[in-house]
Amino acid sequence: MASVSTSKAEVSYIQSGLLSNPPLRADGRGLYDYRTVSLETGVAPLANGSAHLSIGQNPHDGGGGTEVLAAAKLEVESVDPGKGEGMDGGRIVCTVSCSPSAYPHLSSSALDDLQHDLTTLLHQTLAHPSLHPSNLAILAGKNSWLLNLDCVVLADAGNAHDALFMAARAALWDCKVPRTRGVEYKAAAAPAAKVAESGEMDVDRDAEAQQSGFDTRSIARAVDFELPDYWDEGEVLGGRERWPVCVTLNIAAPPPGSKGSLVPYLDAIQQEEAATPLRLLLVFSFPPATSARLQAMRILGSGELESDQIRAFVGTGENYARQLWDALNGKLRDEDIRRGQRARDRFARR
Amino acid sequence: MSLDRRRINGPDESFPPVFALDGLQGTLASPRKDRSPTDIRPIFLQPGLISQANGSAYIETAKTKIACAVYGPRQSRNAAYSETGRLNVEVKFTPFSCARRRAPMRDAEDRSIAVAIHQALVSSVRLDLLPKSTIDIFITIIESDGLDGCVASGSVAASAALADAGIELLGLVTSCAAAIVGRDIWLDPTEGEARFSNGTLVLACMPALKKITSVWQTGEMQVTEALGCMDACQEKCTEIHSVVAQALLESPSLK
Repeated sequence: MASVSTSKAEVSYIQSGLLSNPPLRADGRGLYDYRTVSLETGVAPLANGSAHLSIGQNPHDGGGGTEVLAAAKLEVESVDPGKGEGMDGGRIVCTVSCSPSAYPHLSSSALDDLQHDLTTLLHQTLAHPSLHPSNLAILAGKNSWLLNLDCVVLADAGNAHDALFMAARAALWDCKVPRTRGVEYKAAAAPAAKVAESGEMDVDRDAEAQQSGFDTRSIARAVDFELPDYWDEGEVLGGRERWPVCVTLNIAAPPPGSKGSLVPYLDAIQQEEAATPLRLLLVFSFPPATSARLQAMRILGSGELESDQIRAFVGTGENYARQLWDALNGKLRDEDIRRGQRARDRFARR
Repeated sequence: MSLDRRRINGPDESFPPVFALDGLQGTLASPRKDRSPTDIRPIFLQPGLISQANGSAYIETAKTKIACAVYGPRQSRNAAYSETGRLNVEVKFTPFSCARRRAPMRDAEDRSIAVAIHQALVSSVRLDLLPKSTIDIFITIIESDGLDGCVASGSVAASAALADAGIELLGLVTSCAAAIVGRDIWLDPTEGEARFSNGTLVLACMPALKKITSVWQTGEMQVTEALGCMDACQEKCTEIHSVVAQALLESPSLK
């Protein structure tokens, strides 16, 4: 992750604070306390689902936090192997771009590399077949939805990974897939055989004549699709409760030569990230009625861990990921109510 | 788009041929046919193949073939003063390395593999002894059989090349991949096995110090499965370590 220029004295001050007993952090938080997270969904009116998330924003002027904007946009693409990469059942493409104003100390090539790394992490995790939503298909062998998930890091005050995954989960939760209906073209049945049988020319064929060649009710083999007109924007993505959350365990290591154990802590600010380069990224999903699923695990930064330490950290991470998961789910349900039920009530009162 | 006029440029897009047999291979043979789930493919490692590099290694594990060259430590060009050395990893695919052609310049480079290999190696190199310098590692993937295998074999080759170059290391890094297929752990998956697995994990460690330098897991795994994969990989890494050490001892540069 990007490191701000931090002096050696500052680094050692932050490290010894984290390693002291009780641990001390610059903003007075405990090791496992998050800063306030605020989330709003439906911020981009032209996207199919969107979310704006910030961690640690100053409540007075709304500045000084990590800010991420995520938007999911659907487009129809052809499944034909000769035309691009579309495939049956749809696909997901994630992109992360970082605003240069979030990283003023980075050169443009370093910013590109950072964007690429975040994109790879997000794409490999969210576009994995194990998380693929069930309703991105339109017509087998013809068309499917391409879900573009674009995230923008507007400001980085530390812990961009967790913010990205939370914003991505919120945007995908919010995403609505338009309903489609297959259409089949049918030629009117040839009346010739009937005529020969009856020998009469005056058979009333009104009923047949009125039958449309554009019958969409019983579909044998659909060749095209249409968008039925509904009052809402469609149905939510299948399995939307499975999108994972990320917990970054930053690991403060005691200086070489001294005794002491590693101290993991959550939600580092940017100076803390610069002072403790080692991070363990844990991306968890908690499907209902089954055990927790790891969707990604990465060690980032220089430093090494022992197998037992990782084992302990994964346990700790799972615990906090579940808390984050529950809190985020509560907020997402509130947002659904705010934008659905309340908006309708407000409209009715007008 | 940049076009290299000095080479014969192929068509803009190309598609791998589809054979009639491919349709039948939609499912995976379970249990594993050619080796047991905890077996890895045999490793051939030869350090010192590229004579003009400071250190080099060539690794071959069945269909994965990777050449790696290390240049340095040399003075960092156009970079600001840094107290520790920099480790620079570049990974390139040959155009014919994958089922689908990788056009030179356009999609020959893969940064995500380079980042994964960098992560595996960076904690093993004594970069604190090399201020103001850069170590360049160039990895050429001649034939690829799955990304996970490339990351694992690339890390092993790069670590062997670093040792061959005489750069001070804390320990040799070895790496092993694992996949969860059904409920089982299959070590060192091929591309097809990785595609049909629930999730994959690549672990890099220094077996001499029992320290893990990198974990790279994607896909869906239960926590116990992930930890089981890590243990299985770590055990296998110890065996790979002896292969690498033996290859280095027998290398012509030491004789």
